[in-house]
Amino acid sequence: MTTTANNMNYLPQQNEVEIFSHAAENKLPVLIKGPTGCGKTRFVEYMANKLGREIFTVACHDDLTATDLVGRHLMNKDGTYWQDGPLTRAVREGGICYLDEVVEARKDTTVVLHPLSDHRRVLPIDRTGEEVIAHPDFMLVISYNPGYQNVMKGLKPSTRQRFVGMAFDYPSPEREVVIVCQESNIDKETAQKLVTLGGDLRRLKDHDLEEAASTRILIYTAMMINSGLEPKQACYACLAQALSDETETILAIERLIQIYF
Amino acid sequence: MEELVGEYWHRLITKRAATDHAEAQVNLVDLSSQLAPFYRALGGAPGKVIEGASPREFKLHRRLLQRVAGTHRRTNVTWQDERSVRFAPRHALFPDKQLNEDLYFWLTALAAQLPHINHWFVDNQNAVIEILKSRPGLAKKYYALVAAILPMRPDLDKLEGHKLARELAIQQALKEPGSVTSLPKASGDPFPIFLWLYPEPIHGVSIAADDELDDAPVENQNNEKHEQQKGARKDAKRNDDSKETDGLLIFMLESLFSWTEQVDLDRPQEEDVDVDVSGAADDLDLITLSRQRRAQSSSIKFDMDLPSPQHDDLAVGDGTLLPEWDYKRSIMLKDHCLLQPMLADDALPAPVPERLKQIAYQLRNRFSALNFQATWQRRQPFGTELDLDACIEGITSPNKYEDKQDFYKSHSKNKRELSCLLLADLSMSTDSAINAHERVIDVIRDSILLFAEALNSSGDPFAIYGFSSIKNKQVRYNLLKNFSEPYTDAARGRILAVKPGYYTRMGAGIRQSVEVLKLQPTHKRLLLILSDGKPNDIDHYEGRYGIEDTRKAVMEAKQQGIQPFCITIDEDGNEYLPYLFGDHGYAVVSDTARLPTLLPKLYLNLTGQS
Repeated sequence: MTTTANNMNYLPQQNEVEIFSHAAENKLPVLIKGPTGCGKTRFVEYMANKLGREIFTVACHDDLTATDLVGRHLMNKDGTYWQDGPLTRAVREGGICYLDEVVEARKDTTVVLHPLSDHRRVLPIDRTGEEVIAHPDFMLVISYNPGYQNVMKGLKPSTRQRFVGMAFDYPSPEREVVIVCQESNIDKETAQKLVTLGGDLRRLKDHDLEEAASTRILIYTAMMINSGLEPKQACYACLAQALSDETETILAIERLIQIYF
Repeated sequence: MEELVGEYWHRLITKRAATDHAEAQVNLVDLSSQLAPFYRALGGAPGKVIEGASPREFKLHRRLLQRVAGTHRRTNVTWQDERSVRFAPRHALFPDKQLNEDLYFWLTALAAQLPHINHWFVDNQNAVIEILKSRPGLAKKYYALVAAILPMRPDLDKLEGHKLARELAIQQALKEPGSVTSLPKASGDPFPIFLWLYPEPIHGVSIAADDELDDAPVENQNNEKHEQQKGARKDAKRNDDSKETDGLLIFMLESLFSWTEQVDLDRPQEEDVDVDVSGAADDLDLITLSRQRRAQSSSIKFDMDLPSPQHDDLAVGDGTLLPEWDYKRSIMLKDHCLLQPMLADDALPAPVPERLKQIAYQLRNRFSALNFQATWQRRQPFGTELDLDACIEGITSPNKYEDKQDFYKSHSKNKRELSCLLLADLSMSTDSAINAHERVIDVIRDSILLFAEALNSSGDPFAIYGFSSIKNKQVRYNLLKNFSEPYTDAARGRILAVKPGYYTRMGAGIRQSVEVLKLQPTHKRLLLILSDGKPNDIDHYEGRYGIEDTRKAVMEAKQQGIQPFCITIDEDGNEYLPYLFGDHGYAVVSDTARLPTLLPKLYLNLTGQS
């Protein structure tokens, strides 16, 4: 079931590989939504590998401006010179520009994305007056987590509707077991226990936990167990303490861990 | 003297007859905060509460000593209904504390696995198998518990006939769940199986009172009384006495079988009614409730009529006319609702109540951090450091920034461009009780107060209003704190004085709030709605009409750049709120008691910078 591209494993949840390939073929930008650690970034990296395109990943933060994406003037001993930003490089050279958690970035970033994400496919650089026409292999991919319910952040509808959208969620238990096994080389039985425990913890979201236990956190736990740490200790450290600060919730999670390990 | 001797005798004999291990006792109250998440994580319904159960009567063979002592007639077993999971308030079954604790967790897991019991003997075994299969850690505990509990079961050598067969079947079912499919019949009840769940007691409880006179809840009830019960709730049964005339005892008192039999005697005037009521309640298996709610303090109130002007809040101005959406005709009814701003002018200024001081302090600390979130401001004419980007730009494109010399960046306080209006539902339904000594309105009041404390220290401008309505002719819009006034004891006093009002014409409340919020100059405007149920009013404003009007009002708000967000304590909220506010536009708080602490947290999540 697992597909491999250049030694990179990816287990599709649904038909996301097909959708992405079609979008790439038609030069359309892609938007990926999904909770923390469900495999968004891994998917984009895998697709870049599969399509044989370079990937330019930008992890967006709240101080990220359009300049950081497009580029800036720098100085050396001869004076100033222009340095392309990751977005401009992808546009010029062709490749996938992946803006992770795009809603975190400042509002002015969306402005430079607009002309790139419609039929024009150009990037105007106002500082140099240049208008870069996108390479045929250029593809824009953005991702965000809609679960935060934050009114300060969110994509404008006018931005959102320029993209081909895909929603990701945590994989089904059977698939998750395969993923955990593959990523951590752990035995199947332990992986199964971890995944069931992860399923239990996900039910606590919104009540006791702010965020659900991600596939990533399960893989981390499995890696710790695989390298020789006692399973219970690994779960305490990677799951209980990482998911909550509330003493009572941590105690309850420890009880849950004890019913598996 | 007689009484004293009796007391000593009682203490002695019950101690001798006790089979519990008091030194290893584990209390439910100490564990319930862990049991609740445990239950939810294993798939139990998130809204259910963990509660103590009162002991249940079993027809068992008791030893002489136990019969003399009058103990062991009733036993605590675990069961659940729609609303809660009921555990024994304490477990002291095993001499080992760890085992007693494990018993609680085992039963919680079983309760999550087995929400409904159809066939007690089979379903329990199946649920046990299911758990043993999927949760290896619990399996270990289960077998340890079985090993410890089997010696406590009736001695097989002393049983014979049907009883022996039944006991053998039970023990086999415990040792190897799934191996026995039917329970042999025998007289009496089987000895309680503490590792299993029991069905809920059969007497149904209907909630609605028949009485047309709705008595106000007794405010001054003595809370100390509740402590004796230690979280164990009594079963309740409604008794339909509404049609009958006052009862008269026409038979010999001796022929009364038990305390629980209903005595059809109306005695609202009996003196000292509340003398040791809770003591008597402890002795009862079942508390019979009257459908006539005219107990003890019967006060007559003309339901839903407007209070006389002297006793009402001060009406401010002549009111505002607001439109309403009629979905049947698809038209906006212009000037359909009269909204009347109200001000509780008789509420005295008050500080934060003692019970909330601690948490208010914590919230203030936490939220004041928002106030000082400093960031770099770029392109400033003055500042502590050079803004290199600006300098280089000044060199590369001198024409563009000819007259500006903003080459510095300064570290300064970040002004959050956000104002928030909290709109609280103060309808009559908030008058309902959530537990023995708190009503919904009390929780809402505490929530508003703590929310205000938190926001006040965050520096974000905020306002708080409450609303309730009586048809479209009066939508009462209670001002608790407006945007321009500072948050002082006067505002606190008004918040502490909120009382349940009438109905919920939510559309009008939202429309007015949008008008208020629109005037705020901030970039982002958030409208938080705190509600306890669907919009409704006594005219046609109910069901779909109310929903559609509210939805229209929410959409208007969004169009005007205001973000509405609804927080509800209505457990059915998931059914209609997505339609009103969108999938990510609401939150359901299933544990009402946690609302005061959750509300500021939700606000942080909603507006947090990261």
